[in-house]
Amino acid sequence: MPSNTIVERVVADLRKYPPFDELDPPVLQDLAESVSLSYHEEGEIIFTKGDALKGHAFMVMKGAVRLFDTIDGKEVLVDLCDEGDMFGVRAIFAHHDYVLSAQVAEESLLFELPVDKIKHLLETNPRVSLFFAGAFAKSVGEIEHTLSEAFDIDRRLFREQSYNSFLQNETLEVRPVTTVITCPPDITIREAAKIMSDCNIGSIIVVSTENHPLGIITDTDLTKKVVSKPGSIKEQPVNSIMSSPVFTISGGKTIADMVMLMVKTKLRHFCITEDGSPDSPVTGIISEHDIITSEGNNPAVIMKAVMQAADRDQLKEQRDKTENLLQIYIGQEVAVHFISNIVTEINDALITKAIDFSLKELEEEGYERPGIEFCWLSLGSEGRKEQLLRTDQDNAILYENPHEEQAEKVHEFFLALGRKVTGVLQHCGFVRCPADVMASNPVWCQPTSVWKGYFSKWIVTPEPKAVMHSTIFFDFRPVYGQAKLAAELKQEIFGLIAKNRGFLGFFAKNALQNPPPLGFFRNFLVEKSRDHANEFDIKARAMMPLSDAARVLSYELNISEYFSTVERFKRLGDIVPGMSDLAVEAAAGYEFLMRLRAVNGLADKTSGRYIKPETLNKIERQTLRNVFSTIEKVQKTLTLRFQLDYIRD
Amino acid sequence: MINLFAKKIAARRCRRGKLPANTCRYVKGFAGPLDLDRCLGECRFVVFDTETTGFNVVDDAVISIGAIALNGFRINVQDSFEVLIRRDNVGAREAVTTHGLLCRDLSEGREEQEAVEDFLDYIGNSILVAQHADFDVAMINGMLRKKYGFELLNEVIDTASFAKRLEKGPYYNLAHKSGEYKLDVLLERYNIRLYDRHTAAGDAFLTARLFQILLRKAGQAGIKSLRDLLLK
Repeated sequence: MPSNTIVERVVADLRKYPPFDELDPPVLQDLAESVSLSYHEEGEIIFTKGDALKGHAFMVMKGAVRLFDTIDGKEVLVDLCDEGDMFGVRAIFAHHDYVLSAQVAEESLLFELPVDKIKHLLETNPRVSLFFAGAFAKSVGEIEHTLSEAFDIDRRLFREQSYNSFLQNETLEVRPVTTVITCPPDITIREAAKIMSDCNIGSIIVVSTENHPLGIITDTDLTKKVVSKPGSIKEQPVNSIMSSPVFTISGGKTIADMVMLMVKTKLRHFCITEDGSPDSPVTGIISEHDIITSEGNNPAVIMKAVMQAADRDQLKEQRDKTENLLQIYIGQEVAVHFISNIVTEINDALITKAIDFSLKELEEEGYERPGIEFCWLSLGSEGRKEQLLRTDQDNAILYENPHEEQAEKVHEFFLALGRKVTGVLQHCGFVRCPADVMASNPVWCQPTSVWKGYFSKWIVTPEPKAVMHSTIFFDFRPVYGQAKLAAELKQEIFGLIAKNRGFLGFFAKNALQNPPPLGFFRNFLVEKSRDHANEFDIKARAMMPLSDAARVLSYELNISEYFSTVERFKRLGDIVPGMSDLAVEAAAGYEFLMRLRAVNGLADKTSGRYIKPETLNKIERQTLRNVFSTIEKVQKTLTLRFQLDYIRD
Repeated sequence: MINLFAKKIAARRCRRGKLPANTCRYVKGFAGPLDLDRCLGECRFVVFDTETTGFNVVDDAVISIGAIALNGFRINVQDSFEVLIRRDNVGAREAVTTHGLLCRDLSEGREEQEAVEDFLDYIGNSILVAQHADFDVAMINGMLRKKYGFELLNEVIDTASFAKRLEKGPYYNLAHKSGEYKLDVLLERYNIRLYDRHTAAGDAFLTARLFQILLRKAGQAGIKSLRDLLLK
């Protein structure tokens, strides 16, 4: 029998890294018993491309190992592994020789894990197979677990539960009031009532000198036990009327817990103490009101409040609440498409309200509303319904072609509208677009004929630079007014593209400007060809390549719906032969990126665009690495489809 | 030569049935001559550590032994060993607490004879390795002499001397700079993260990590065979 102390030591080391971090202790122990440790100096070759497979996979416990391919005698870096990374795992899936070489980059301690142990784990532990499927699908073409399946399993195992129950708001935590107002038991009822009215609170907790809860006095107690009683008992000590003992609970209760508790106890106030018992200090209080306003975190409630808002301040308030909601959803790992739908609905309602306010103001200021239809367009990520955190505004106004003699007046009116609405949006926290792509810019507040002219110019005589700047317009979506104007514009675009197929090549080329990075090494982004960077621009390096690709293909295939990138990929998977797997992968990858960006943005109070590699955990790095390989595949598909190898800049 | 003599005596006592079967198995492992030309990569090294009630070789007792083996320069977790030895009369001794073992643990330990015989079975004729090996070997020998009348027959490497030899050459006087070759200091110097000091198995594991690195440095210094390693 191996030494327990040593096995436990190895268990502790393994447990630091996925997929071993969540294994059951006996399983992990069994694995730890089979580990061998090997030590290697810098420059040492662990295995060479073409070598027969060894009987074990490797995990870097200390140091670093570089994996490289040899193509035409040249070494091409494929990956850098640091602490916690595994390599040489291909042996587990396939029975080929090593397809890469591994060389020690810094003196290293490696754990060697026997292949049959890992195989057994794969068969018996879904989390492990998920991890390996995700982690190594890249290097093993024929394995059956693809990234998309992994995402599916992932969702099935870890998300669905919280997602479903979330819909009933059950798993959301009720935030207690932590600035609890308390009083000692010997003050008079009158004094206590005064504190309550001064602090504008409905209850006060009576505490001992150790801050342990003794009882509670609520509005109801005051009404029933004091006001309605004859005689003056106001000078009596509070402990003569307080409800005691107080119902105490521990923190972290969900709405479902609290509703059950209210029903069961018929109480309306719950005191939170350090250990949940009455014999420990008070840390918070939850009242019926808190429980109900937690339900107010319900998007429907926010939506209703937006629609009933009386002024721009109320709009701002609701949009700020939406950000809280986002924070909760992200924390609870609610599915991204669900979150983005909600945020888009709220944003759209807010824009609608902003336009209503503005139209009314214009009327009050004496503007005469021209008798022609218009359509408010959201552009860019908002047009794609992908905004989670508030980013720059991108919008435009499209209106019916006016009679020539009216033209100037009509333009003036809609421009005034554009200025007002963008002003309200700015007030609500949507920063003005630095490139001035907004309805307040005369260039982007135009009648149908002018808009058709813009698109015609972009499509008929494409220049790479112009194409890059114009992509944002191709994601327009009608939010207010006559949607048929937008639909008409879209048909016009399809017509133009049909006659100018060459445009698609430029459009596609634009989607290929940014080859994905390889992965991460410690605090650096590892690149194939450029210098390693210590900041990762998730928008430019991962999201745009995918959203650009989805856009090109959607326009190529006349998909007329105003889709998000994820929806576009899903549709593409349905209609493009041979693309279904890749499309599902890309959609899942894009959702992962959206979530990561939102998490980062919420943590940094920024747009979330720039991510510091050191803030990523091992699973996130692993998943990103997979997304990078998905991007590479998508880009290859575009290259083939549009034969971009032949187009020169 | 003393070693050779001891081997013969032990072997004779085995033939006469004066020693238990498993200790005889141990003794038989040393029947042939040691192959000094063997490559280090083909040798089994057992890195071990003892915990004792104190530092007096005569009066103090071993309360636990921990060990782990290296085969082909690899540390194999599977090939490790740990035993607590039952000591009913040392519960209150101070040394016990400094070693992190509670009296309760000790009363749950194995009988000394069982423990020692298991240890002999485990080490076989491997090369033994320990930090400041003289002390640990003396402690084990104390138990062996008492019960069986022979001492450890294995070759022994002391990691402190080995490190010193690799860093300073074989003739450096260790005595006046002994602080530089304490286990903690060596581990730090070779970038091995400290943890779990003061259990025999924990220390054996750390010492094995150190020895693994030292063996690699030795290879670079031209020490390839047992003969080179043992300076024979």
